[in-house]
Amino acid sequence: MLFFSFFKTLVEHEITVELKNEVCIRGTLKSVDQYLNIKLDNASATDELRWPHLSSTRDMFIRGSVVRYVHLPQSAVDTSLLEDATRREAEAAKNKAK
Amino acid sequence: MSFFGFDANLPRDQSHRANAPGFSQTPDAFAGLGASVGDDDVIDFEDTYDGLGEQLDETDDAFNDDTFGAGPATQKIVGKDFDFAGQTSKISNTLQEEQMLYQARQPPPPAQQQKPSVPVASKPARSGYESYHDPNYIPQLEARADIWGLKPKQPAPERQAERQEPVRYEPAPAAPSRKMMSLEEVEAMMRSRGVAEAPPAPSVQPTPAQAPAPTLHQVAQSQSQYPGMSSPFAPQILQRPPPQQTHHQGPPAPRQQQIHAELPGQGVPSQSAQQPPNLQRQRPQPGDAPVQHHRPAPSQGQGQRPPSQPRQILQNPNRLSGQGEPMVQNGRPARGHAAGHNRGPSYPGMVITHPEQLLHLSEEERAAYLEEDAKRAKRNHKIALLSRDNGLMTPQDKNFITRIQLQQLMSATGNLDERGEEAAIAEDFYYQVFTQIRGAHRQTPQQPANQFAQTYLFQTNSRYGPRRNGRAGDNHMQRMEQQVQRAVEAAKAKPKGKQLVIEGSLGKIAFSNAKTPRPLLNFKRPDTHVKPPRSSVADRKETLRNTEAVYTTLMHMEDHERAMPPPINEDSNPELIQQHMEWRTKIEALHRELWKNIKIMEPINPHSVTPHPFISILSLAKGKKAIPRIFRHIDEHERITMVTMIVVHLDSLSVVSNAVATPTEPLGPAIREEVELFTLSVMAPLLAHISESPLNIVIGLLGLVLDRTNLQMVVRSKIGMSLLTILISRAELLKESAPEIDSSDWEQWTEFYNRFFDTVEPVLPLIFPGTVNDTDDTYVWNFLAAMGVGASPEQQQRMVIGVKDRVMETVSVSKALPADMAGSRLANVNLFMRAIGLDVELLG
Repeated sequence: MLFFSFFKTLVEHEITVELKNEVCIRGTLKSVDQYLNIKLDNASATDELRWPHLSSTRDMFIRGSVVRYVHLPQSAVDTSLLEDATRREAEAAKNKAK
Repeated sequence: MSFFGFDANLPRDQSHRANAPGFSQTPDAFAGLGASVGDDDVIDFEDTYDGLGEQLDETDDAFNDDTFGAGPATQKIVGKDFDFAGQTSKISNTLQEEQMLYQARQPPPPAQQQKPSVPVASKPARSGYESYHDPNYIPQLEARADIWGLKPKQPAPERQAERQEPVRYEPAPAAPSRKMMSLEEVEAMMRSRGVAEAPPAPSVQPTPAQAPAPTLHQVAQSQSQYPGMSSPFAPQILQRPPPQQTHHQGPPAPRQQQIHAELPGQGVPSQSAQQPPNLQRQRPQPGDAPVQHHRPAPSQGQGQRPPSQPRQILQNPNRLSGQGEPMVQNGRPARGHAAGHNRGPSYPGMVITHPEQLLHLSEEERAAYLEEDAKRAKRNHKIALLSRDNGLMTPQDKNFITRIQLQQLMSATGNLDERGEEAAIAEDFYYQVFTQIRGAHRQTPQQPANQFAQTYLFQTNSRYGPRRNGRAGDNHMQRMEQQVQRAVEAAKAKPKGKQLVIEGSLGKIAFSNAKTPRPLLNFKRPDTHVKPPRSSVADRKETLRNTEAVYTTLMHMEDHERAMPPPINEDSNPELIQQHMEWRTKIEALHRELWKNIKIMEPINPHSVTPHPFISILSLAKGKKAIPRIFRHIDEHERITMVTMIVVHLDSLSVVSNAVATPTEPLGPAIREEVELFTLSVMAPLLAHISESPLNIVIGLLGLVLDRTNLQMVVRSKIGMSLLTILISRAELLKESAPEIDSSDWEQWTEFYNRFFDTVEPVLPLIFPGTVNDTDDTYVWNFLAAMGVGASPEQQQRMVIGVKDRVMETVSVSKALPADMAGSRLANVNLFMRAIGLDVELLG
C-alpha cells in the first residue's frame, strides 16, 4: 500500500509517466488506484513528433502494469516521511510474515 | 445432486429443495383449499401438511368452489389478463404442487418425507394424493411466476382445471404449438402414450383417449416457451399421468419407462421406427389448437410443465451436454422436424412436420425449406455448443464465488475509514501524515483532523523534512548569531581595560610573553591527517542495522505517545490510572531500548580503529536525521551525555575531518551536503542545548574539545567552528549576565580559553574556507567575533594580526559590490570588528 499511499499525495501534481513501450507522457495526476492505474489530465506526450497519435488525447487512463517510471516533482516528496513510511511497511510485512 | 443420498441419476427433484426460490414450489397439498392455507407459493408441503388431509372427505371436492368461492371472481380477472406466461405459471403451480407432493412422498422419498406417504399409500379412498403413488409422477419445475412480479393465483385455476373441465387439464395448445417436434419429443411421446393409456382410470378421467394428443401439445408448448432448452425432458412431462388416474398404476413399469425417457441416447434407436406415426399424429394437433386456445381457461394448460426443464438442468448439469447431441441429430434436414425449438418460424411458407408433405412441395419450395431447416439445425447446434457447460455451477457455487470476489474487493480497496485511525495510519501512513503536514487536498472529508492528528502533526513539524528542519536549523543559527551579537553588545557596554589600539590603524604591537610565546613554527598537521580507515563492510552493515533499530524504536515510541491515555487527576478512576501506569511502563521500556540502540554508552576506546558505534550512526545521513527525534525522547542527563559524546568525537566526525576546506581545494558537493544535513539535524538540537547549559557544562565541553580533539582541524571546519562559537559565546553571555558565579569557575574558563586561543591563533589565517569572493563566511566572522569578545586585549591584538589580511580584502572587495551585498559583507566584518572594539568605518 506504500506506493498507493505515496501516489495519492501526488494528486494534482504534474508528473511524467514513462511507459514500458517508451512512450513518455506528462500530465496532471488526477487519481490513482491500488493497482497504480493512473489517470492523467492535460496529458501530452513529451515528444509529440515521436508519438503523434497521442497529441489528440488530453485525458488518459494508464493501466498500472504498463508503467515503467514515474517522474515525480521533487518538491512534492517528503523524503524522510517516505523513509519512515517505508520502515513501517517493512515492519508490518515482517510482523505479518511471523 | 445427492444431498440426501439419492441416486442422482434418478429423476428430478427428489433431492432438490422444492421451495428454493426461483423454482417451482412444492405445492400445498391443499391447494384446492387454497384460501385456508394461503396462497404462499413457497410453503413447503412438510411445513403445512399436518395429516389432516387424510381425514378430509374428498368426495365432495367438486363443491370446493362453492365453499371457498374464490374461483369465478379470480377467473374473470385472469381472463382479462393477457400475460400468458404469468398465467401459465400460475396454473402450473397448482398442478405441480400435486406432482411434487407425490414425488416427494413416493418411495424412496427423502427421509423427512417418508412418513406421510405411508398412510396415503394404503388408503383406498381418494385422498387427493392418489396421483403421487405413481412413480412416474413428475413434479413440476418452473420458474416462479412471482419473480417476474406477477402474483400467483394458483388455487382458483386449479380448481377449475380439475373440477370443471378435466379436458382442459390437458394443455390447450396455444399459437406456439405450431411447430415441429424433435426426435426426442417424438419418442418421448410414444412412451408417454404407453404410460398414459395404460392406467385404467376412466371414471376419474373423463377423456382418457385424448390424453396422448394433448400431451404432445404440452411438449410443443414447452419447447416454444423455452426455445433454448432441448426436448429430452419433455417425455417426463408426458409420462406424468393426470393426477386422478395415476393412482392406479403400478410403480415399477412406469418408472422404467421414465428412466428410459430421460436418457435420450438410449431411446433413440429403439424408438426411431415409430417416429413417422408420431409425427403424423402430432401434425393434426396444431389445427385443433385454436379451438382449445379459445376455451374459457386457455392459460391453464399452457405452461404448467415446461418450467420443469430448467430445474432439471440445474439439478443435473451433465444432462445439458447430452442435450446438445439429440438436438443436433434431430436437426438434420432429412428428418424434417428438427427445429422443434424455433421460436418465430423462420420459414414462413409453411410448417412441415411430415415427410410426405415434403414430397408434395415444389422443387423450389423444398429447397427453400431444406435450406431453412439446415439453418435451424446450424443454429441449434450453435446453441447447444454455447450451452454445453450451462448449469455446471449450482447457485450455491455462484454465491460462493461471489462472496470470495466481494471479500477480495473489500480487502483490496481496504475500507480504511471503517477500521479506525490506527489502521489508517498503519496502512496508509505516508498519505495520512503527508496530508496532515501539508494540509494538502483531502480526498475524504472524514480524514483525521482530530487531536491525534494534531499531535502527530506537531511531532512531525519538528522533525520531518529538510524544509522544516531547515527552518528549525535557521532558527538555531540565527539564535547563535544573536547570541554572539548580544555577547558583543554586552562586551561593548562594559569596556574591558585598556586596549593598545592605535587609532586609524590596524597595526598593533604583538605581545608575547613567557607563557605564550609567539609560535614561530606552524605545523599544520590537519593537512596531513590520516583519514580514518574505511570501515569494513561488516561494520557498515552493523551501523545500518543499529540505525534501523533506532528508528524502529523511535517509531514505536511515537506510536506509543499517540496512544497516551488522557491525563489523570485525583478523580480519575482506577482503571484510567492503571492505564497510565501501563503506558508509562511501556514508554520507559521503549526509552531504555532507544538508549541502548543508540549505542552511546558503548565504552570509548581511543585506540580503536573503528569509530565509536554512535559516531558511526552519525556518519549516516539517516543517522543524523534521527538525532533531533531522539533528542525529543531522552531526558536532560542523556542529552548532556549525547552532546558530550559528539564533542569528544568532534574531530572523528566525517563532517569535521573531511570538511576542512581551503581556498584552493573547496569541499565537494557530497560533503557539503553532509555538512548541511549535519548542521540542520544534529547541530540544531546541540546548539539549542548548549545555549541553555550552565557554565560548568560549557567549561567541561571546551575542556573536552581541547583535550580530546585536534582543535586546529576542528576549528577549520564549519561544524567545529559553529560548536566552538556557541560554547564561547555562551560562556561570555553567562559572564555578562551572572558574573557573581563562583570565581573559580571563571578562572578555569579563562585558563581554557587561553589554551583555546593559543591553539587556534596559528590557524586564524586559514579558517576562512574560501577566497575573499566566497560570501559564505558569516559563520567565520561569527566565530571570530565570539572569540574576540572573550579575548583579552592582548589576544585581540593577536587576532587582528591573524585575520588582518582577510579584513582588508573583504573591505576592498565589498567596495566593488552592489550596495546591499557590500553592506551584508561589511556587516559580517563589522561584527568581528566591534567585538574587539573597532569598526569597519575606521578602516576608511
